[in-house]
Amino acid sequence: MWSDRLSRMRFLFGGRSRAEVDEELEFHIDRQIDANVAAGMTEVEARRQAAIEFGGRERVREQCREQRPSWSLELLLRDLRFALRGLLRNPGLASAAVLTLAVAICANSTIFSLLSQALLRALPVDDPSRLVVLNFAGSHPGHRHSEGGSSEGHTYEFSYPMYRDLREKNLVLSGLVASAPVTAGVTWNNRSEAVSVEMVSGDYFQTLGVRPAVGRLFAASDETAPGANPVAVLNFDYWRTHLAEAPVVGKNLLINGTPFAIAGVAAPGFQSVVWGRMPQVYVPITMQRTVEPEWDYLNDRKSYWITIAGRLRPEVTLAQAAASLNTLFLSVRAAEFTALADQSAKTRQEFIDHAHLNVEAGARGFSPLRDDVQAPLIIIMGMVLMVVAIAIVNVASLLLVRAANRVREFSVRYALGATSGQIVRQLLCEGLLLGVLGAGLGLALAPATLSLLIGWMAQDSPNPQAFTAMLDWRVFAFTAVAVIVGSLVFSLAPAVQFWNPRLAEALKQQAGTAMGGSLRFRKTCVALQIGFSLLLIVGAGMFVCTIRNLRSVNPGFETEHLLSFELAPAMAGYPAAGVAPVEQHVLERLGALPGIRSVGATNDEDLSGNNRAGDVDVSGYKPKRDEEFDVELPWVSTGYLETLGIPLIAGRTFNASDTATSQKVSVVNESFAKHYFASPQAALGRHVGRSGNANRAALDTVIVGVVRDVKHTTVHDPANPTCYMLYLQMGKPIGLAYYVRTWQAPQSAENSIRAAVANIDSKLIVSDVKTMTQAIDDSITSQRTMALLAAIFGGIAALLAGIGLYGILAYSTAQRTREIGIRMALGAHRATVVGLILRETLILTGWAVAVTLPVALFAARAVRSELFGVSFVHPSVYVIGIVTIGLVAALAGFVPARRAASVDPARALRTE
Amino acid sequence: MVAKRVPEAGDVLQGTLDMLILRTLVMGPAHGHTIAHAIESTSENALEIEQGSLYPALHRLEDRGLVSSEWGVSENNRKAKFYQLTGKGRKELNAATGRWRRMTRAISLILGESFD
Repeated sequence: MWSDRLSRMRFLFGGRSRAEVDEELEFHIDRQIDANVAAGMTEVEARRQAAIEFGGRERVREQCREQRPSWSLELLLRDLRFALRGLLRNPGLASAAVLTLAVAICANSTIFSLLSQALLRALPVDDPSRLVVLNFAGSHPGHRHSEGGSSEGHTYEFSYPMYRDLREKNLVLSGLVASAPVTAGVTWNNRSEAVSVEMVSGDYFQTLGVRPAVGRLFAASDETAPGANPVAVLNFDYWRTHLAEAPVVGKNLLINGTPFAIAGVAAPGFQSVVWGRMPQVYVPITMQRTVEPEWDYLNDRKSYWITIAGRLRPEVTLAQAAASLNTLFLSVRAAEFTALADQSAKTRQEFIDHAHLNVEAGARGFSPLRDDVQAPLIIIMGMVLMVVAIAIVNVASLLLVRAANRVREFSVRYALGATSGQIVRQLLCEGLLLGVLGAGLGLALAPATLSLLIGWMAQDSPNPQAFTAMLDWRVFAFTAVAVIVGSLVFSLAPAVQFWNPRLAEALKQQAGTAMGGSLRFRKTCVALQIGFSLLLIVGAGMFVCTIRNLRSVNPGFETEHLLSFELAPAMAGYPAAGVAPVEQHVLERLGALPGIRSVGATNDEDLSGNNRAGDVDVSGYKPKRDEEFDVELPWVSTGYLETLGIPLIAGRTFNASDTATSQKVSVVNESFAKHYFASPQAALGRHVGRSGNANRAALDTVIVGVVRDVKHTTVHDPANPTCYMLYLQMGKPIGLAYYVRTWQAPQSAENSIRAAVANIDSKLIVSDVKTMTQAIDDSITSQRTMALLAAIFGGIAALLAGIGLYGILAYSTAQRTREIGIRMALGAHRATVVGLILRETLILTGWAVAVTLPVALFAARAVRSELFGVSFVHPSVYVIGIVTIGLVAALAGFVPARRAASVDPARALRTE
Repeated sequence: MVAKRVPEAGDVLQGTLDMLILRTLVMGPAHGHTIAHAIESTSENALEIEQGSLYPALHRLEDRGLVSSEWGVSENNRKAKFYQLTGKGRKELNAATGRWRRMTRAISLILGESFD
């Protein structure tokens, strides 16, 4: 082994060179000549005899070289040189193949990188495989505050007392952490802004194994009693970008006007135990009331608002932990039930009998976003795989065309003594070269594409860093290897022709009648490409229609000239009593600004994916047995309904006569009136109320008006029954979203609004300023992304199919030069010849389309949940797809057909 | 990657040629010409090898570490490459000789002394 390596090294440093071998052989022959002369031959004879005795000198030299250790390397280099020369001889075809591969690799690794981030990446914590995420089945009477991600039977939000019980009484977890997100006003160096804050339990960082970058993180002693732990930990990125890595430990940060001592900074890279949350500041969960003054959750068993995750003890399996925790959970639930107001059998059944605690593996963390992005990403992945399939078929057919064009070249080389092994080796080298070049180009393009895509997806997104522009190298390596292996395999396909034992005969006939097998292969390639492209184009059509429908949906009010922003006085440290007056002040001030038609506010933003729902008691309405009916309950200001332009159909809207102390009033929408009363008129004067609980006083309002239904949660959800109430009469300090109707372009009002608010109090934080059209666009981001990607992939597919079709048709038409020559010599017109070839192309296209259509229908049916306002059998989408692919096929066929038809018949006949 | 060469007629005896070369070098370092003549004359000219085929064999043996080479000066004062048996080569020679003896014995046992 060693000597082997040594001799290889020797080769590198010179060693046995060609000259040396020559010298050695020369010496031998000279010596033999001398010997022959000494034996009495003449000089000429001696030389002749010596040469005879030595044998073929050139062959010996060749054989000596083959003994060299570097021989295989030399061969490889030679083959690569050959391959490169071969590719350069036909640069158009080679670059088409390389581009095809690069597009496939780039698309594939970009999308898979995103997908793995969204679906597969583990949290950056110690030993994530031991983490578990808890959720439960069963009813949750009371208040639930959700970020999303929960589904029937899987509620991810727990109450704080329940969490304490689970944490303190379980025997299977070495730690159980709680967290909840909130937006709060943070002031540092007199600069205030709204930032994401995560409320966490004291053992949060310790259990997850997150270490401090600076100072210390929380400990159990930071979670003692409500309001008693004003300390904060900063996120590393926030510390770096907003605090310029200043020494912060021990300094104070104002959160909603309350000073919090900064304990430390968390290690870089750590965001949250919940995937997709991007908190900038962490505070102990016991400070909930301070960072979220609107609610008082901590001691309430009927407030479901925290997500919890635990770490398994060593030696405890997931199943053991699940069983043990479930028993504990059920015993706590049984105790909680006794405190419920409603002790009916049905409530009991839903609260206890249906209850179950689920313990799920949590290496990837709970993610409220994951469900939202999963379906779109999987659909996109399907599209990518189709593009990759097209690319591989494309390269296969291009290579085949190329090889078929070189039958003569190979036969000459074969005749000159090349072994079939050498020919195969050269084909492999060409395939390898194509694959490597394609992979290299793909690699060069992928990072830029990824950041472009992420930049586009993160536009105006509430948490722009949810995806990072990090290429997943495993994915890239996998794709690159797959493509290289693919191109190697397909580069071999033509070699099959050369292993034909009756090669000589085949070569004699040469380009004549194409071989049956490869013709079928080519037709299959063409059909596959057409099929895949049609699928992608139909998909693109569906998603483009969806996005067009979503954009043009009429929500029931005018979305132009409407600007919204958020302002919560609590974030500037306003005490509860000061909130409503300053909000009233803001409304008045803004209403008086020039260029502003009207202004209103709500605690329940429109078309942003949010809603605030609850059950109500309605006078004169007898609920059906066990009826559970939630209505939308926005609290709004006077002027809100007018600003949005929601039409009034009965009674009146809120006006200046409705004050904090006057009779509480409400306005309901049509659906509400229809559900509870026969007609809108019948609703007027009735009472809508809510019973009181720990978080709110009992409430009773009189319906004074009925308005038309408008879309509220998103543009694609139908309107819910809604009861608008006046926020002033609710007696609760809340932050509001303001809506400003402008005369001019809404963006132009932003500066005057900011100035007016700063004029009232410079501490007030105006955040999330955007126009209604932007807000709508934001709420349909995933559909927009999908439409864009589908359109791109559809375009790429059509382009690739066009290239592939052209390559194959150009080849098969060239093969038929003689036939065409004969036809033309016998009097066929050029148009007839073009028509002949086009007809064959279109018949093949027709077959491919006929086979693909059912598949397309099936695929479109599978994604119909992502579609809006377009049926999966929407005919125009299919017609457009078929016409597009037909045009591409016709174009790809027309160019070679015309070229064939322009051949001089006499020359065509002479080609053989 | 390197395709297997079709065995040529001479290859059948390739292993034997290697053995003969090694045996010749037991007498001491020699260059190719000497080796060729030594084989021919020692076998009483019964084995007439094509002299050129000696060199690929020598290079092969050198790659396998059975012989080593050195440039020296020949008996007629010319630069020549001398080959020398290595320790590994000596062992290989012993093994090959043993194999050869066993084989020829087996063959002669089958053929018998003579037959009428």
